[in-house]
Amino acid sequence: MLELHLTAPERESPASGPEAGETGLYDLIVLGGGPAGLTAAIYAGRARLKTLVLTGYLPGGQPANTDVVENFPAFPDGVAGPELARLFLQQARRFGARLETDEAVRVDFSTRPFAIHTHKATYQGRTVIVATGVVPRRLGVPGEDRFFGRGVSSCATCDGFFYRDRDVVVVGGGDSALAEGIFLTRFARQVTIVHRRDELRATKIYQERAFANPKIRFLLSTVVEEILGDQTVNGVRVRNVKTGESRIVETDGVFIYVGMEPRTELFVGQLELNEQGYVVSDRRQRTNVPGVFVAGDVQDPLYRQIVVAAGSGAIAAMEAEKFLGEYPDVSNQPGSKAL
Amino acid sequence: MPLISQEIANQVKDYFADLTGRVRLIMFTQEFECEFCAETRQLVEEIARLSDKVEAEVYNFVTDREKANELGVDKIPAIAVIGAQDYGVRFYGIPAGYEFSSLIQAIRTVSAGRPELLSPEGVQRLARIGSPVHIQVFVTPTCPYCPQAVVLAHQMAVASPMVRADMVEATEFPHLAIKYQVMGVPRTVINEKTHIEGAAPESLVLAKLEEALAGSRA
Repeated sequence: MLELHLTAPERESPASGPEAGETGLYDLIVLGGGPAGLTAAIYAGRARLKTLVLTGYLPGGQPANTDVVENFPAFPDGVAGPELARLFLQQARRFGARLETDEAVRVDFSTRPFAIHTHKATYQGRTVIVATGVVPRRLGVPGEDRFFGRGVSSCATCDGFFYRDRDVVVVGGGDSALAEGIFLTRFARQVTIVHRRDELRATKIYQERAFANPKIRFLLSTVVEEILGDQTVNGVRVRNVKTGESRIVETDGVFIYVGMEPRTELFVGQLELNEQGYVVSDRRQRTNVPGVFVAGDVQDPLYRQIVVAAGSGAIAAMEAEKFLGEYPDVSNQPGSKAL
Repeated sequence: MPLISQEIANQVKDYFADLTGRVRLIMFTQEFECEFCAETRQLVEEIARLSDKVEAEVYNFVTDREKANELGVDKIPAIAVIGAQDYGVRFYGIPAGYEFSSLIQAIRTVSAGRPELLSPEGVQRLARIGSPVHIQVFVTPTCPYCPQAVVLAHQMAVASPMVRADMVEATEFPHLAIKYQVMGVPRTVINEKTHIEGAAPESLVLAKLEEALAGSRA
């Protein structure tokens, strides 16, 4: 069966919003098109808020980059990640939110309405929900940048094909590392999972599957110190953190799954961030700026689950609606400065 | 058995509801159809049934050589998406998986005849290009970031008569994957030698494109 994923969010027509380059005023601008942002869009659309979602370049968010999702409730047999992403997008669009693949490059939360500058246009929002999610953390070792796209990858579903009958190293010990390592055994001859601790962090069901897979071997208490190669990757230099012993492991590819970090660089100096860079909020998903709410992984260093992200997106949208009811005139919003 | 489920078909019809200009999907296969040729042909034929503005035309790559040459088609399966004119929008390999989105978007853009997703500044910079540009975007159908790169390249092709842009499905053309050292996707190759790894924003792709042209003049 041929799989077809329809995730293109653009449905622009002259009637649906401003032309590129113009400004548009929205009740709510959602930054991010993952489960949190799209759930917020569903709720906002049903509340009849004029809503714009800037999805960024991975419409549907992390599920779009996941083979199978088995823990999202009401899908007892699991659901393909891309299909779940499509369903989120379709449902958000159904209630009238405008979805754009564009992303914010600069935001100004000191003006009212808030100003969101993207690659293509400037938009104004009476409220904003930050749901920009997380990005894969880099290892920060020599060779990583040089060989990115030439043996170093952070997307097994994208690039697994290029490692048919070859050897790969997966760095990390969490759910992503194990799930993607298991996925890579469809192509690779051998998958070596390198993890810095002597125990894996991944959910037990992933550990059971990985241990049972004859193509997977583990190098625990081991860190990657350098990625080696010529035109493309041919090995990694690893060090055992207990013995201090260093050696070279030959490999054709390195897939990096060492966790995520919040995508908050746009908000430095405007939103309160914690020491790890996550947006700080209260239980009503409010940030330190009245009218700016936050949802999903960008404010969640602990759980990072689709169902949790969706829940916080619903709360953020309901709070945004309430806020707009309390402050119908943007110039009277708390925290607004005279312009 | 249809390749496009009823649910996806309804969604595509919705995307096609406001098409203005006619679009021809010119598909090349051959008598003994290549691995994904039959499915690509069927996909194109099913898409054409979802809008009266979209037509499918199927050619034989071997016996219709002249037509292939006219459209610059050098491998199959191939789809040329042609509107009021030939903007140079091509798909090599089956546009399945995430690339189905790229094909639907290409049909919308070619129908409109304007690069509606580019910034006004980008359109101006592309209008200044005076020599030929060939963009090849290597993808896999399972790559969620790839449509971003493909759609951007196709928009640039519509924006400038000097630019043509191909989606190339790497798993179907392994010799090209080797030739262009594709080990990760999306990988964008501009005029054979300039490379971009990953999905990049419009401004970065434009800068690389201008750099490629400046390099070839030097």
